[in-house]
Amino acid sequence: MVSLPLNPLQDGLRLEPTPGPATLVIFGASGDLTRRKLLPALYRLSRDQRLPARFSIIGVAREEFGDDGFKQEFRESLREFAGLTDEDEVAHSLSERMRYVGGDFKDPAIYQQVARHIAEMDSSGGVLFYLAIPPGAYPNVIEQLGAAGLSGSTDGGWRRIIIEKPFGTDLQTARELNQIVHRHFDEEQVFRIDHYLGKETVQNLMAFRFANGMFEPVWNRRYIDHVQITAAETVGVERRAAYYEGAGGLRDMVQNHLMQLLSLVAMEPPIAFTAESVRDRKMDALLAALPLGPEHVVRAQYHAGWVTGAEVPGYREEPGVDAASTTETLVALKVQLDSWRWAGVPFYLRTGKRLPKRTTEIAIQFRRPPLQIFKRVSQSSVAPNLLIVNVQPDEGISVRFEAKLPGTRMQLAPVMMNFRYGTAFGGTVPEAYETLLLDAMLGDPTLFARHDFVESSWALITPVHERWRAEALTALPAHEAGEWGCPEMDALIERDGRRWRTL
Amino acid sequence: MSTNPPLLPLGIEVPFSEIEVTLGSLDDGKRAPGRSLTATIVVVGPHARLAEAAQAVEQLTDVGVRAILISDGDNPAPSVRVLDHAVALEGLRPDYLNNAVAALRLSSLPMLVWWRGGSPDVLDGLADLADRLVFDVEDPAAVWSRAKTLSERTATSDLRWTKLTRWRALMAQFFDLPEVRDAARSFNRIAIEGADLPAARLYAGWLASSLEWTSTVAIDVRARPGGASIESIEFGDGDQALTLSLGASGRCVETTARVQGRVAASRVGYLGDQGLAALIGEELRIRSRDHAFERAVAAAQGVV
Repeated sequence: MVSLPLNPLQDGLRLEPTPGPATLVIFGASGDLTRRKLLPALYRLSRDQRLPARFSIIGVAREEFGDDGFKQEFRESLREFAGLTDEDEVAHSLSERMRYVGGDFKDPAIYQQVARHIAEMDSSGGVLFYLAIPPGAYPNVIEQLGAAGLSGSTDGGWRRIIIEKPFGTDLQTARELNQIVHRHFDEEQVFRIDHYLGKETVQNLMAFRFANGMFEPVWNRRYIDHVQITAAETVGVERRAAYYEGAGGLRDMVQNHLMQLLSLVAMEPPIAFTAESVRDRKMDALLAALPLGPEHVVRAQYHAGWVTGAEVPGYREEPGVDAASTTETLVALKVQLDSWRWAGVPFYLRTGKRLPKRTTEIAIQFRRPPLQIFKRVSQSSVAPNLLIVNVQPDEGISVRFEAKLPGTRMQLAPVMMNFRYGTAFGGTVPEAYETLLLDAMLGDPTLFARHDFVESSWALITPVHERWRAEALTALPAHEAGEWGCPEMDALIERDGRRWRTL
Repeated sequence: MSTNPPLLPLGIEVPFSEIEVTLGSLDDGKRAPGRSLTATIVVVGPHARLAEAAQAVEQLTDVGVRAILISDGDNPAPSVRVLDHAVALEGLRPDYLNNAVAALRLSSLPMLVWWRGGSPDVLDGLADLADRLVFDVEDPAAVWSRAKTLSERTATSDLRWTKLTRWRALMAQFFDLPEVRDAARSFNRIAIEGADLPAARLYAGWLASSLEWTSTVAIDVRARPGGASIESIEFGDGDQALTLSLGASGRCVETTARVQGRVAASRVGYLGDQGLAALIGEELRIRSRDHAFERAVAAAQGVV
């Protein structure tokens, strides 16, 4: 037989590429994110044969529940979050390659134990560290990984790290964290996760813009009136009060998710679909954002109300929340990009908790036709064209355009043309964490935030926080739970002669 | 008059010329909003084999596919039924097959032909209309012998090949391990057991063409009547072998790579949905020529 330097059987395989042998080390293995998202995602990847032939998982957390306890956590996670009532053969096989290290993250001994497990599991290909831990613990764990020699490889395999959001709490802390990370990991080893970027529709936005000739020519100030990006949640602060009290909506949603969506809409075409090219263009878009003055940002806090069929308490009455809290649960912004493409086109962003429905979308509103030739024959005014990218829950794209109502008279009515991922192609749409875990193992950072993007995003947001701190309000404008915003939020857009979309 | 039960029993009987109008009216009244059409699938074969396909097709119309079922016969004006995005033409004379397909396919979208039997003589004409031709017949000898010529006109595949997707992936992923690639240089035997000998030959053909085997590899294809189409694959021998065996549940494959007497990797892989709708759905998602299949089918014809 001939020699086989590379894998000749990969050519023409229908399943997408799989990474080489790898070990995933999850710090925070007993946490909510691991149970809700990571373990189910790993199971689904395994079921879809997207994991390598030799793959191991090492869980690290404070609890001392041992290998068997970790496997039990895995089974319970699949039962609760993957709908798997009984462990199947795939889950059992995956759990056979799970190990657990319990202890304090500050204790250097646990990193030695992790190193021993990595060697025992013989994943000569690569090791991916996942920090699913409170952000305050990032610096210590990163330093310890470096000190234990785990950030670099001696066997030629790769070493990478996934860092969850929030990456810092302001520009200064983000810079400091980047410095700590870069002391031990090169930028190409670092994968700052924003799960919004793993969603199919978000990726499809790039396909939509850059794989079609008909949209890009109108994707500019000449044809687009404004853009609205909405991330609405029905839930309140849930069990995250301790975190959310210090974060608020601006840090929790705007600095990362909404800025990512904005940059994807606003970016110039990259010269190729490569990680650096795409991230360079996103970075350009963000750099074009003008500073956010007081007139560009509105905040509010939810009060008691009625959401999804039940009465709910106000934010200050939530368990774990300060009774005098001034943390914003609703925030709306007007972002202006000082660029050739977008000058004069406002981007309105809004996000909040306890809104009437859970939905995330990007709505691009086009200018009206220059001449209203139908105004004498049609009683209704011509609605502007809309292009809506639904990010969640029903991923898809819709276009609204005007059509003639059937009849002898010329009457117009808006109609929607819809494309839905869930029904158009069949098959299952992968969860964002599946896509992102796999990309990190394959070494593709396209869908991850680069250090300069994170810092630029904080550079935009931090002055707003500083201004709010100086204002020292004792109460924020009220947003009644279950309603779409508050008068202040409406005023932000209405003073420009526009309105928030009713979703 | 045909005594066969209709392929779309809940469908509306209409003249051929009324098909599009009827589909349009069904669209207005019954379809859920938000459906995007993505492809046409044409299923051709004897009536008995189309009844089974009709059920699979019903699931595909839920995901934006127009399905056209055409059973062969000798009728120049066959009976027509329509239901949602599906059309059934029963007993059509083969010479008019292309005319019917040309009239009913969705314009500007890909068209896949699912070939479930009949005279292979019509395949040339269908290949010119189709973007993809998927064979699905019990004895593939006649269509495989034409595969090379047909592949020059359209993309080709075989539903047996679709069933092998995950078996192939499991084997291929072993070759990501450097020690397996090194060991594989000395493998000189492969044994495949299963009820479907053509599938086993196709698998062997894939390995032979991908690994560029010379005649030093012995290929042992053994029939196991009554079992699953593939039951087990052993590539190599003794201390150095890659084994894939269907698990007891029939849904998973147990895999082991043994190199120099030690287990280099071992895991269980899920076979995925092997139902007809899922298999043909997989073919619908592939929009390019499958060169691996073309090479495998050519090599498979030399495997005895």
